[in-house]
Amino acid sequence: MTTTSEPPLQLTAGEQLVRPSTSLGVFSRPRGDTGWKSWLFTVDHKRIGIMYGAAALLFLVIGGIEALLIRLQLAVPGGNVLSEDAYNQVFTMHGVTMVFLVIMPMAAAFANYLLPLQIGARDVAFPRLNAFSLWAFLAGGIFLNTSWFLGGAPDGGWFGYAPNSGLVYSPSNGMDFYALGLQIAGIASLVSAINLITTVLNMRTPGMTLFRMPVLTWMLLVVQFLLLFAIPVITVALFLLSFDRLFDANFFNVAAGADPLLWQHLFWIFGHPEVYILILPAFGIMSEVIPVFSRKPIFGYPFMVFSGIAIGFMGWGVWAHHMFTSGMGPVSVAAFSLSTMFIAVPTGVKILNWLATMWGGRIRLTTAMLYSVGAVAMFTIGGLSGVTHAIAPADTQQTDTYYIVAHFHYVIFGGSLMGMLSGIYFWWPKMFGHKLDEKLGKIGFWVLLIGFNLTFGPMHILGLQGMSRRIHSYAADSGFNLWNMFATVGSFVIAVGVLLFFWNIGVSRRRARGAPPVGPDPWDARGLEWMTASPTPTHNFDRDITVTRQDEFWHRKWRIGEDGKVTRIARSEDVAHDGSATDVHLPSPSYWPVVVALGLPLVAYGLIYNLWLTGLGALVILGGLYGWVFEPPDDPEAHAHDDHHDADPSDDSGNGASGGGTSTNGEGGPDSGDGTRQLTGAGVAGGPSAQATEEQS
Amino acid sequence: MGARTRGRLGGRFWRRLRLVLIALGAALALTACADEHPLDTLTEAGPDAQEINDLFFPVLGVAIVVFFLVQGAVIYLVLKYRARRRDSAAAATGGDGDGDDLYGDDEYPEQVHGNLRLELAWTIIPTILLAVISVFALISLVELNEVSAAEDDLRVTVVGQQWWWEFQYHLDGDTSTPPDIVTANELVMPVRQQVPLEITSRDVIHSFWIPRLNGKKDAVPGRTHPWVIEASETGRYMGQCTEFCGLSHAYMRMYAVVLEPAEWEEWVQGQLVDAAPLEPGEPGYEGQEVFLANCANCHVVNGVTDVDLDDQLDGMDDYAGANSITSALVAGAAPNLTHLASRTTFAGSIFDLYENRAERIPYLEVAERGDLNRGDLEAWIRNAPERKANDADGARGMTAFPGLTEGDIDALVEYLMTLR
Repeated sequence: MTTTSEPPLQLTAGEQLVRPSTSLGVFSRPRGDTGWKSWLFTVDHKRIGIMYGAAALLFLVIGGIEALLIRLQLAVPGGNVLSEDAYNQVFTMHGVTMVFLVIMPMAAAFANYLLPLQIGARDVAFPRLNAFSLWAFLAGGIFLNTSWFLGGAPDGGWFGYAPNSGLVYSPSNGMDFYALGLQIAGIASLVSAINLITTVLNMRTPGMTLFRMPVLTWMLLVVQFLLLFAIPVITVALFLLSFDRLFDANFFNVAAGADPLLWQHLFWIFGHPEVYILILPAFGIMSEVIPVFSRKPIFGYPFMVFSGIAIGFMGWGVWAHHMFTSGMGPVSVAAFSLSTMFIAVPTGVKILNWLATMWGGRIRLTTAMLYSVGAVAMFTIGGLSGVTHAIAPADTQQTDTYYIVAHFHYVIFGGSLMGMLSGIYFWWPKMFGHKLDEKLGKIGFWVLLIGFNLTFGPMHILGLQGMSRRIHSYAADSGFNLWNMFATVGSFVIAVGVLLFFWNIGVSRRRARGAPPVGPDPWDARGLEWMTASPTPTHNFDRDITVTRQDEFWHRKWRIGEDGKVTRIARSEDVAHDGSATDVHLPSPSYWPVVVALGLPLVAYGLIYNLWLTGLGALVILGGLYGWVFEPPDDPEAHAHDDHHDADPSDDSGNGASGGGTSTNGEGGPDSGDGTRQLTGAGVAGGPSAQATEEQS
Repeated sequence: MGARTRGRLGGRFWRRLRLVLIALGAALALTACADEHPLDTLTEAGPDAQEINDLFFPVLGVAIVVFFLVQGAVIYLVLKYRARRRDSAAAATGGDGDGDDLYGDDEYPEQVHGNLRLELAWTIIPTILLAVISVFALISLVELNEVSAAEDDLRVTVVGQQWWWEFQYHLDGDTSTPPDIVTANELVMPVRQQVPLEITSRDVIHSFWIPRLNGKKDAVPGRTHPWVIEASETGRYMGQCTEFCGLSHAYMRMYAVVLEPAEWEEWVQGQLVDAAPLEPGEPGYEGQEVFLANCANCHVVNGVTDVDLDDQLDGMDDYAGANSITSALVAGAAPNLTHLASRTTFAGSIFDLYENRAERIPYLEVAERGDLNRGDLEAWIRNAPERKANDADGARGMTAFPGLTEGDIDALVEYLMTLR
């Protein structure tokens, strides 16, 4: 590990960094960068990102099996694969899993791995909090899924409408697991949002102004703000539900005068921004992939950024379109109908800008590009069907039918998941140092695309023919038989596509052994993340990168001549860092994020089964926080490296670039007094940085 | 590029288009062969559903045009601007052979960063398009909320509960007084007359939906939602609860039975008559005894169960609290059976009461001319939870009656068939 005693903050010459004693008994820090402990206690944003991704893929398999069970049940009328009760649990958990445990963490994986790299940072602002986010999310996901073995999973739908989610109508513990599990996962999202917002706002490399950031970084930033404001709303709703169920409160008790529509408003004020939380990261990924494989810059960068921001804002004003039939007055219905229609505008702008990016390009249909183009095409279908039920009168026919099921699967599967698969194929070499197999990838793409359309295309027809959602069975004379069979066959084609993806991971991994390294920049890409070795070294970049324009890395490889002709001025290998730096200070691993996260499910189990267990969980959390606070700033044993500095601080000023200052890693650099702008991995919450700040002041 | 590319592109494009068209045609042919669709939203049978479809189809048309434009553009761009293959280069560096992962240095096109006018255009044009659509949407919205029926016309209170529908008829339109008729699962109504509804629920949220007549409206406990329904043709229109309401959500169906005005009057007169208590020796008397001993705790037969209808309804209006399992929901809130035999379905309209319903017997004659679906009815009485999942122990749904002998059940069925 390339740690040294160099603190992240620069000291003026001659000043001595005073370190407190690092031996506080048990409060030492974990060490080592191999073995399972190095993953369990890591605070490295890249490892955390990879684990987020791995967990999301695991849950994808679970959620996928649930989907197949649903499709088996509905393959023929009067299906008896699942009982009514089991069916309700399975469709509830399918929704909860895919939204909260697959798409959200997959986005978190990209955010964690790529966001610091794309802004040229060493790590996120609060590395230990980042680790805590991961473990809290995992704790929440596992907690939720243990309900299968503890008397039944949640059965009230992912939307958990009151009063059906109440104790009378859902007497098993399932909905308690739902409320508490989402609460835990919500803590993870909230903490992560604060962390990443701070990172983007404070830790950009010199010259990386907001409007030089890649579109992906922008979209992820918008998403973090959405999370920051949306998660508290669902938190409130889930608290009310938990208190109703666990402590006989009356928030949703109609007999006591409650209005069950309160839940719907709270849920959808969270739930609709949530939709954009799911789709915007994919939009960002597509905005990175399409330019690279069209060999053109993104068309209309400002429009792409502002349309994303516009979607983020307008996303707060459309929630009640989920409630057009719930009994709101016509004025509310009209208002939300209008706002919903007009949110299609910024979304349409994005689609047309992607197409314009491809226009006149040199398109390479790599697997990543196929998935991105596929996502554009499929998302368009979801967007168009969305407009048809933004019209409130038409929605009274379509809502809660399979037409809606088709619509949001085109958005979330066709848009989000395909976009993220594109990202996986695109950044895989950056993460693991080898490409995924292109041939298998392309076959997988076509299988998935065909299966996807076979499954969800017919659902438009089924919905218009009147098939309700969430029904475990339909009558043989309802006329739904044919398309349901299509959909079921299609779902198994999807399963084959997903299996091909996993197969590809295995094959490519085996083939990569002994193969030549993929190099820092296998796709001739544009973002800063490609400007370092693959896989990314622990310290990300050897030196500060000074950014002078958008797509800095690309401009260091290519020059646009007077005649518009593009000529190469440097090879990627020469521009990119080779990862050999040894003088980089990095935050040390920590035990405590895991401990604190472990306490959360204990509290939750305790609330369901025995309050003493809640007390124990609370003690674990408090103990973990105590350890967290008193954790020594650094591991004394890790000071083995010499405290030497990079010999060439001006290396990264860029080709022909003069502005933006020089590298700031050296003590003598012009920016050495400016601690906040440094490539600080340790961050404000981590030991060393906070410690150093204190001592400086 | 040039002619060679375009030639190749053209050939491939038309081949693909032809494939797509063939697939589309095959799909349509299959749909046409498929069964009748009793819940179809697109074949309207009333002015409200008509209004909705008149709005939906043009918007769908616009959406389909945009769909073909965008998908066409995607395919066109990919085919037209796809970079040339570099087989040898790909093979040399371990690509998959079609060279998609490799570029040559000379392959950079002009670097276009954007075009403000173009982007403004495709921001403003969709905005205008959507603004136009929204005008029509708002007009429809206003029209759909108009109630043309007079204050003293028929008005029906619709009550959803797990997992069946109750219809309370107020012939004088005054919903503050006890209803004149209480029935279940089949909303019998006159043709070409707007019927105002007041939709509510006794337990969880349901959604009332007869797709061929109008869109849906949620039945929310503690709230009453106004809605209207009108049919322009007589017939039997299927409905389905569309808000997830627990275990047997799928089994919460209903029918709107639309009759000519004269038939409707006849139906009303029939329903207004209470059942006469049977005397010993009359056919069905034993069954009545079984009914009073077992079923009358929950089910009402006007004139037989000695519960005053007003009291009954008072009890029904008490919403069973979300935390009070003890206040049994079923008491007084099971389908009113006074005229059971005049209906065509039972148990949330999931079973036909008569086997020969398909022969299209006029609705008012089913009790005389129908062949009883004895198998399903007896099985239902014997063990309802087995036929339709419920939570009878938690007081939601009909319980099993293991204590009934086969003789009891036969007698009961005989009695029920007297309730015309």
